[in-house]
Amino acid sequence: MIMERFDFLVRSCKLADTLIDVQKLTPSIGAEIFGVDLGAEISARQFQAIHQALLDHQVIFFRDQKMSVDQQKAFVRQFGELHIHPGPRFPIDGHPEILGIWADENSKRVSGEEWHSDVSCEPKPAMASMLYIHEVPKNDGGDTLFASMYAAFEALSDPFKRFLSGLTALHTGAAAYGGGRSPIAATNIPSAEHPVIRTHPETGRQALYVNRYFTSHIAQLSRSESNAVLEYLYGHAEKVEFQCRFKWRANSVAFWDNRCVQHKVIWDYFPYRRNGHRITVSGDRPFHQI
Amino acid sequence: MSIPSIDVRKLTPTIGAEIFGVDIGHGVSKGQYDEIRQALLDNLVIFFRDQDMTLDQHKAFGRLFGKLHIHPEPAFPVAGHPEVITIKADENSMRVAGEVWHSDVSCDAEPPMGSILHIHNVPENGGGDTLFANMYAAYEGLSETMQSFVGGLSAMHDGNAAYRDKPAVPDPDKVYPRAEHPIVRTHPETGRKALFVNRYFTEGIVGLSVEESNALLEILYRHIEKPEWQCRFKWQPNSVAFWDNRCAQHNAIWDYFPQRRFGYRVALCGEKPV
Repeated sequence: MIMERFDFLVRSCKLADTLIDVQKLTPSIGAEIFGVDLGAEISARQFQAIHQALLDHQVIFFRDQKMSVDQQKAFVRQFGELHIHPGPRFPIDGHPEILGIWADENSKRVSGEEWHSDVSCEPKPAMASMLYIHEVPKNDGGDTLFASMYAAFEALSDPFKRFLSGLTALHTGAAAYGGGRSPIAATNIPSAEHPVIRTHPETGRQALYVNRYFTSHIAQLSRSESNAVLEYLYGHAEKVEFQCRFKWRANSVAFWDNRCVQHKVIWDYFPYRRNGHRITVSGDRPFHQI
Repeated sequence: MSIPSIDVRKLTPTIGAEIFGVDIGHGVSKGQYDEIRQALLDNLVIFFRDQDMTLDQHKAFGRLFGKLHIHPEPAFPVAGHPEVITIKADENSMRVAGEVWHSDVSCDAEPPMGSILHIHNVPENGGGDTLFANMYAAYEGLSETMQSFVGGLSAMHDGNAAYRDKPAVPDPDKVYPRAEHPIVRTHPETGRKALFVNRYFTEGIVGLSVEESNALLEILYRHIEKPEWQCRFKWQPNSVAFWDNRCAQHNAIWDYFPQRRFGYRVALCGEKPV
């Protein structure tokens, strides 16, 4: 009883101290952050608390945010340089850093229906992405799933971790952006080789870094070995134990760390409309360090 | 240069040879013995045609190569010959032994090093072939990365699944052999490395989760079963196959029901895989 009171006091103090209220969504991944107006100027301490929450929970969510395009850019810029997407399907005039997210009754497909880490096909893939949803589909669809690649890595056995630790994989945008699926010319489709296990540059934790959308094969294995190992890893990474599922409302914001998170959007709302703006923070070259 | 006393004709570049010029049931000379042994090491499975031999002669030929192995669960024991197992299938068979790729009795702590099968009757429809696969080639066909990964692992082999429901009256208290063996086995005579997991007996890889183990074993099984490292032997009455379980797997095809196939097998004791 005394301990419970003590815990409560500690939590209250932390709350007062950090000026944000963090409520975890699942033990593995995800937290909702309350008590912040992202459109307003935030203090250095609040920024630090949000940054820490992102590192701790890998994806953080904010509700009922009112931000202009410039305010959204200003907030995200505090985390780093803004990333310009290689082939936006819905460019926003005058704002090359904004990726328009749009689906409606005319959509033949939506982006990101496969599990992925954003633009992992680039040599320096996006560090983090913030999606600000303006309009949610009327049928309550359009949730997004997020999965912790720390948890996926940690759930592997020690021999399997050791096996994967020295390996690298080829990532290519061909399936995502080729064949007329984006404005990118075939010769400009990005591709890169990354470690299969990526060390997070800020937390030092290891994360599984292969995904169905961009990864083509593991460089050190034969094609058939690679296909089988990747298929196993994808199935493993997609376990519900490592996930959270976020239900959007108008003006909800999700901010995820692509270095340790994969996500998947659910298109279960055709012909309804869903739209928003994504801004992405540029990232580092992935590395693996034991 | 000594003149070879037997005639060895390869079936494929990778595995299998037919041996001519020797009557294995009726005395094998020292020179012939040496050449047969070498042919076995070189080709992993060797075949002899038109061999007429009694059970005693079959056993005597086997004993030239080592002590005879007693099978833990013979489906059809032969009275007075505990070292011999009957291989038979006919119109009453619900199943046949060895329809899955395997290395004989790999669930034993010391699995038999080789097996000698003498087929007396072949099915009339031309079926009943046996496939043999070269586990050196399978190992060598893996990428270096995969070789070193599996080279550090071992697997549990269990006779339970293979033998439990085999007797007409299953004995619930019977304990079947169970053993842990390295996935990559070094052949004690040739020094070459061979894959040593099989669908029939291998239960799981030690130290991996069940799912990882299933995934990795499936990769290895599919790899092992590539036709590139196989030969397919068509039996005639009195054909004999002699295979090395340390580096070969085999798969008996049951494509002849309700017809009859019949023969006898002896196996040679082996050592603990390393």
